Amino acid sequence: MKLLIVEDDRSLSRSINDYLKMEGHICEVALTFSDAVQKAGVNKYDCIILDIGLPDGNGLDLIREMKSNRITGGILILSAKSSLDDKLIGLKIGADDYLTKPFHFAELSARINSICRRSNFLGLNEITFNEIRINTDDNQVYVNDKLLILTKKEYDLLLFFMANRNRIITKESIVEHLWGDNVILTDSFDFVYTHVKNLRKKIIAADGRNYIKCIYGFGYKFIDS
Amino acid sequence: MGGALLYLTIKKVIYKQIDESLITEKTIIEDQIKQTDTIPDFEAAFGHQIEVKLLNYHVRNFQSIKDTDIYDPKSDSFIPFRYILYSGNSLEKKGFTISIFQIISEKNELLGDISLYLSFLFFSLLLISILINYLIARNLWKPFYDSVKIAGRFDIQSDKPLDLPQTDIKEFNQLNMVFDSMTRKMRNDYLNLKEFSENAAHEIQTPLAVIRSKTDLLMQQKNLNKDSLSLIKSINEATTKLFKLNQGLLLISKIENQIFHDKKRVSLKQIIEGGLDNYKEIMLLKKIKVEIEGRDEAYVEMNDVLAEVLISNLLSNAVRFNIDGGFIKCKIDDTFLTITNAGLAMTTNPEDLFRRFHKASDNPQSVGLGLSIVKMITDTYRMPITYTCRDTIHEIKLQYRLKGSIPGHFKQGS
Repeated sequence: MKLLIVEDDRSLSRSINDYLKMEGHICEVALTFSDAVQKAGVNKYDCIILDIGLPDGNGLDLIREMKSNRITGGILILSAKSSLDDKLIGLKIGADDYLTKPFHFAELSARINSICRRSNFLGLNEITFNEIRINTDDNQVYVNDKLLILTKKEYDLLLFFMANRNRIITKESIVEHLWGDNVILTDSFDFVYTHVKNLRKKIIAADGRNYIKCIYGFGYKFIDS
Repeated sequence: MGGALLYLTIKKVIYKQIDESLITEKTIIEDQIKQTDTIPDFEAAFGHQIEVKLLNYHVRNFQSIKDTDIYDPKSDSFIPFRYILYSGNSLEKKGFTISIFQIISEKNELLGDISLYLSFLFFSLLLISILINYLIARNLWKPFYDSVKIAGRFDIQSDKPLDLPQTDIKEFNQLNMVFDSMTRKMRNDYLNLKEFSENAAHEIQTPLAVIRSKTDLLMQQKNLNKDSLSLIKSINEATTKLFKLNQGLLLISKIENQIFHDKKRVSLKQIIEGGLDNYKEIMLLKKIKVEIEGRDEAYVEMNDVLAEVLISNLLSNAVRFNIDGGFIKCKIDDTFLTITNAGLAMTTNPEDLFRRFHKASDNPQSVGLGLSIVKMITDTYRMPITYTCRDTIHEIKLQYRLKGSIPGHFKQGS
């Protein structure tokens, strides 16, 4: 996937760049608004990761410009402000999703995957991983072509793992992904553990393999063993 | 007091006059006796009696003026008299006595009348002066009371100037100026502080994002040994906590800044059901029984985001501090939303939990902002909220509607 990262903070943009490259994406970085406008005008990106607060312009204007020039591609807004207005305006004028800083890379990765899935209408509404097949249109999971009944949280969790294969996913990022970042739960880590355990059990029961590896003290890793 | 003094003074004046006339009469009679040795002719009038006796012997010079009561058989009563008794000697060394009686009851009546009129006058004067004083004071102090009234309505959060009225009175203008500059300074300080906390919270977001992104990258590296992993884990935990803290402060500053000013009619029951849905699995796991009781049409007029934050914080609290096999009961009646849950007995005053950074548990994950955010929101909408704890039963009671008011008539704090 070809991505454009528009973020004026050098350190952060480099981190995002590094991480997404690790995920196998092709990334370009724009540090300023003008740079971003130029790059978006010349190249075609699958998704643009856009910081709203740029030193020489408002990221929202970039979205407006892209939409008026009929430039396709998903847009994910990054913002230090979790201002509701920004979010609503952004989504209204054509952004696909909104992520508040600071975010977990696992979350970013999952959001980008989701946007790309939605903006590509080339039968990518299916994620296949060995014997596991996920249909994201009707939210069904099949293991060895057999329907797997999962709860909503387990389904979300599996999708989250899929978007972050072979990466360590922290328990914190799972909690934020499943319950949203407004929820502050003390013993939520136990619940993550329970959900992961149940998911693993269900996949194995359907003759799937155990892909979820526990990294002690940290979280989990979905690996192709 | 004044009346009594007046009475005494008048009485004294009258007595003095009576006494003087008695003495004058006596002197006239005495002079005649001394010069001619004859008793002058005098007419006896009512209330006026003169007795002169000539004696054949020498007497001692003597004079006294006294009060006396004389019995009057006609009216069968005692009548007060003032009398002078005088004894002296004529030129031939013969003694005589003069006694003159002067009735004073008439004069006493006069005295009473004068006193009455005077006290009436005095009292009406007093009343008039009080009235005038009041009227003058009211007009004179009007600018002062106006200023006090306006100053009493002063709200640090509103950006309207105090706008005190101009007066012709120098002192009040001075006072108004002091009021004005004081409130201006207060508001500036408040705005600075507000701006500072908001900016600080915002500015912290980006560095936090950098730290988090770097640790995310770091932990993905291959060949990390156990020690490095444990270090990264600690950094990660601290970052998460810092993030939560910052998020809470940001939310508080946003509520203070009235970001969430638009209002909607939201159903309490729906929000509660939605909120509980988030904890479905957790409650199942902890075997917490949930009970919602109340009507769907219990509406509250407030910002929908704040309503969700409010309820979500209350529910999260009820779930977090619950015990295995416990219960949560949400009851919505006409005025109150009551959330009761089982938990552990509390050692601190439950009301303290509404204060910022006050933690009941020593859980490192808790930042102690949840209930202070709740308090903040309820204060904004002027809804009283109480937290009570009886043994192991915790109860939060929110008065979401004024007693007997029409639904949805809340005034938001300006």
